[in-house]
Amino acid sequence: MHREFICILCPNSCRISVEYEGTNIKNIKGDGCPKGKDYVKNEITNPLRVFTGSVLVESGNFSLASVKTPVPIPKKYLKEIGEITHCLKMKAPIKIGQVVAQNLLGEDIDLIATRKVNIINK
Amino acid sequence: MKEREVIIIGGGAAGLAAAVACKQKGIEDILIIERGDYLGGILQQCIHDGFGLEKFHTSLSGPEYAQRYIDQVKEKEIPFLLNSMVVNLTPQKEVVVANSNGLQHYRAKVIILAMGCRERTRGAIGIPGARPSGIYTAGVAQELINLKNYMIGNKIVILGSGDIGLIMARRLTLEGAEVITVAEKLPYSSGLSRNINQCLYDFDIPLLLSHTVVDIEGNGRLSGVTIAQLGKRGGIIPGSKRKITCDTLLLSVGLIPENELSREAGIVLDNITGGPQVDERGQTSVPGTFACGNVLQVHDIVDNVSLEAEYIVEGVARYLEGKLIKEQEIKVELGEGLRYVVPQKLISRKDTIFSFRVNQPGEKKILVFEDGKKVIKKKSLRRVNPAEMVRVKLSSSELEGIKRLKVRLV
Amino acid sequence: MKTTNNHYDVVIIGGGVVGCAIARELSKYKTSIAVLEKEDDVGWGISCRNSGVVHAGFNYKSGTLRAQLCVEGNKSFAKLCHELDVPYKKIGKVIVAQKKEEIRELKKLKTQGEKNKVGGLQIIDSAELKRLEPNVKGIAALYSPETAIISPYLLTIALAENALTNGVSFFLNTEAKSIAKLRNSDFRINTNKGEFTSSYVINSAGLYSDKVAHMVEKDKYRIYPCRGEYYVLDKNASWIINHLIYPVPKAGTGGLGVHFTPTIDKNILIGPSNEYIKQKDNLSTTSQIMKMLSAEAQKFLPLISSRDIIRSYSGIRAKQAPPSEGGYWDFVIEESNSVNNFINLIGIESPGLASAQPIAKRVVEIINKKEKLSLNSNFNPFRKGILRFEEQDEETKKALIKQDPDYGEIICRCEQVTKKEILEAINNPLGAKSLISIKYRSRAMMGRCQGGYCLTRIIEILRNEFGLTLQEINLKGDNSYLFSGYRSDEVNKL
Repeated sequence: MHREFICILCPNSCRISVEYEGTNIKNIKGDGCPKGKDYVKNEITNPLRVFTGSVLVESGNFSLASVKTPVPIPKKYLKEIGEITHCLKMKAPIKIGQVVAQNLLGEDIDLIATRKVNIINK
Repeated sequence: MKEREVIIIGGGAAGLAAAVACKQKGIEDILIIERGDYLGGILQQCIHDGFGLEKFHTSLSGPEYAQRYIDQVKEKEIPFLLNSMVVNLTPQKEVVVANSNGLQHYRAKVIILAMGCRERTRGAIGIPGARPSGIYTAGVAQELINLKNYMIGNKIVILGSGDIGLIMARRLTLEGAEVITVAEKLPYSSGLSRNINQCLYDFDIPLLLSHTVVDIEGNGRLSGVTIAQLGKRGGIIPGSKRKITCDTLLLSVGLIPENELSREAGIVLDNITGGPQVDERGQTSVPGTFACGNVLQVHDIVDNVSLEAEYIVEGVARYLEGKLIKEQEIKVELGEGLRYVVPQKLISRKDTIFSFRVNQPGEKKILVFEDGKKVIKKKSLRRVNPAEMVRVKLSSSELEGIKRLKVRLV
Repeated sequence: MKTTNNHYDVVIIGGGVVGCAIARELSKYKTSIAVLEKEDDVGWGISCRNSGVVHAGFNYKSGTLRAQLCVEGNKSFAKLCHELDVPYKKIGKVIVAQKKEEIRELKKLKTQGEKNKVGGLQIIDSAELKRLEPNVKGIAALYSPETAIISPYLLTIALAENALTNGVSFFLNTEAKSIAKLRNSDFRINTNKGEFTSSYVINSAGLYSDKVAHMVEKDKYRIYPCRGEYYVLDKNASWIINHLIYPVPKAGTGGLGVHFTPTIDKNILIGPSNEYIKQKDNLSTTSQIMKMLSAEAQKFLPLISSRDIIRSYSGIRAKQAPPSEGGYWDFVIEESNSVNNFINLIGIESPGLASAQPIAKRVVEIINKKEKLSLNSNFNPFRKGILRFEEQDEETKKALIKQDPDYGEIICRCEQVTKKEILEAINNPLGAKSLISIKYRSRAMMGRCQGGYCLTRIIEILRNEFGLTLQEINLKGDNSYLFSGYRSDEVNKL
């Protein structure tokens, strides 16, 4: 099978073409750096993505705290994690990097806060 | 009338970076004026990651990137006003600010314009059809979802494959909505390739190139749109119309630098960029008024906004020291293949960073800088795309003694 | 539905500019009055969707009601606007000829105007036209100094609010479904919100006046919808023209021709087109017409650029003349000759706005001849509108903010509308809460960014200060919800 990937690791967006069968890679062309090659390999065998989303905040100067997974997670879990964020709620104040949830889906998926939220007095 | 050395209009990415850079250059008397109730501008609602790859060598979300600068503003005790709108700007660098404390007048030695941009609307592009609710520009939808916790709809069609549209395609999907398709009127996407991959391919959202929305239906709420394919000359291909049932139409059809204040102050604007015409210091046609960020030209990567802000602050510092000498002015001429260039003119021959956008996507192109027939510099570009800004530095030795400057893409 | 026994001396069906003018006029007398309006707010039929021109009266055949009432209305419009605290500007109009043959038409209009007692009409040559309108292409023009511009939605709202102050009851979202004549000769009007009874019914239902008339009498009237599309230009283009610019009208068409209207808020309207359509509520704009409008604009005002377009909209004329005929029939303002005390207003298209108050006075006359109405000594003709912060001088602005800090918070950046004005717009006497209602009253969302900045802020005000639920926030009533729910399940109780 032949597919052209657009590498996402940096703005160069190298177009890398791959020939493969199942998870067996036969040929890679167009990679601008070793990271790109690894990226494409992963895209075929085990695509990973950083999840970003939001959780509700109580008593904050923002209604929501934006969150992310600190490391890329298997692409197949993205939507489910999204659903989970709809059920999470935190209390202000929130620091960037603060752990919001751990080991989601039993797959060692954590969420950390990416927006600083201060307490407001209502 | 309150006097200030530097007033920065806008507390988003550009304004924050400019403020921090000013302080680092030893400028003490700064005031940031922000109309919203938080600093960070559009970064606060861009909760996806990919920011900071160049500036901080790591991938940050928008709020994290903003916080790096907000923390510095707080650490360096740079004064700022929130919920304050600049309602008037004069060529004499006087500013009138409205907030709940009243109308305040300031006069500054330097004004830095950092107001960002607004979105092109349905009305401005003239999509025909009914006027139901459920039509949002992508940025507004992003604010409502990511900052206010409101869901705009369930079945979405997106018009425009610019970055904001693509990002929102992913965001809406992750938040549980169904994005039916993204339509793009050009034969190529106007977003970063990285985003097409992560936002559309990842979720099997079809991208319909050379398609646009030609009709809108719905009495109260939107009930559907009609899309059609466009031919080479932009006309609708007969028989290509197709109705899509949906309840939301998201528009990502362009950004317009927000230059109403600039216009009021008599600052000369560039018709193509929509922002002020500037010299290599970022100085507009009103001496002592500088511009950076999206208000100057629409950026695709926030790192470049910060770099641009830092770069123009060098000019700000020189201006305050009285060292901004105007040498012979050279207009930067635009040759073929390029949509625009910033700066539009040079008043000195110091190190200058030029920003461009090309007209068409292409590969293996060369950017040529010429002084009449003499080639000053050539830069190879592996791949170019109107969606991706090109930045090239020319050193003072390369610019020394030139009589004319023309740039073209071959 | 529970029957509400609401009896009024007069029920007015239709809360457009004419219905509201009648309500106000009648409230000068001791009568109980109710206005039934099927939409979420007043004026949402035709009244809010036209050019807002107070015509001088030369376009109409002498002796017709259109001619008489327009001239009468034009002469007293400034006073009306002053009483109602709505903006008014006697900006003047030029009808521009581009061909020699058209000058003959101009002269005819002048003669007709003078016969109708319109003042100040002059034929001007190209030099004078150039002086008045340096950017218009033309060889001669008819200049009418008495033509004025207003805000048609502010006027309709003001008429309603003043009528309300003077005792009129307004029932929004209330649609007449059927009307029966009772044995005591009263009317029983069945609506979606219950029953009303009245001694008089005034049919000012605009586009649906034929349908309402048909509720009591044989199919006598027929209204043909004729749509007009408009472009709105950015205020930055307002320097291009100084007066209303019209072409020489073509006989047999549905309208006065594509014209250029400087609005009272300093936008420019280009339009309207005129196109007979099938559905009375089809307010769509079309790409063919928009192209036509651009072409017409280029003919007269080559300086206009499509870059200046901020939006388009359409309005629908209630025409009595069928598509095969085109042109205009005269206003019908009369008591039905088969049903006593049922007064019909049929086919009130241009110059309906200019004629609104005189039409109302005629209706009062009809009732007065039968009832001998007695004056309401408490009638107050004055109504205060929402103060526009942007229009005040600096000292006043400072004083306003000091008195109320909500004047210092600018919500709509493009039109400089403050939080105070938005609060007043939401808190309007009629109780209308849709975004369009807020827009018409405050001007928020009417600027070049079309709500890009202020929409979120207005929604927060509706929720935090007025307690509207997410589901209740709507654009224009009738299922035009903005949100499908909260993003997060935690709060998702709709």
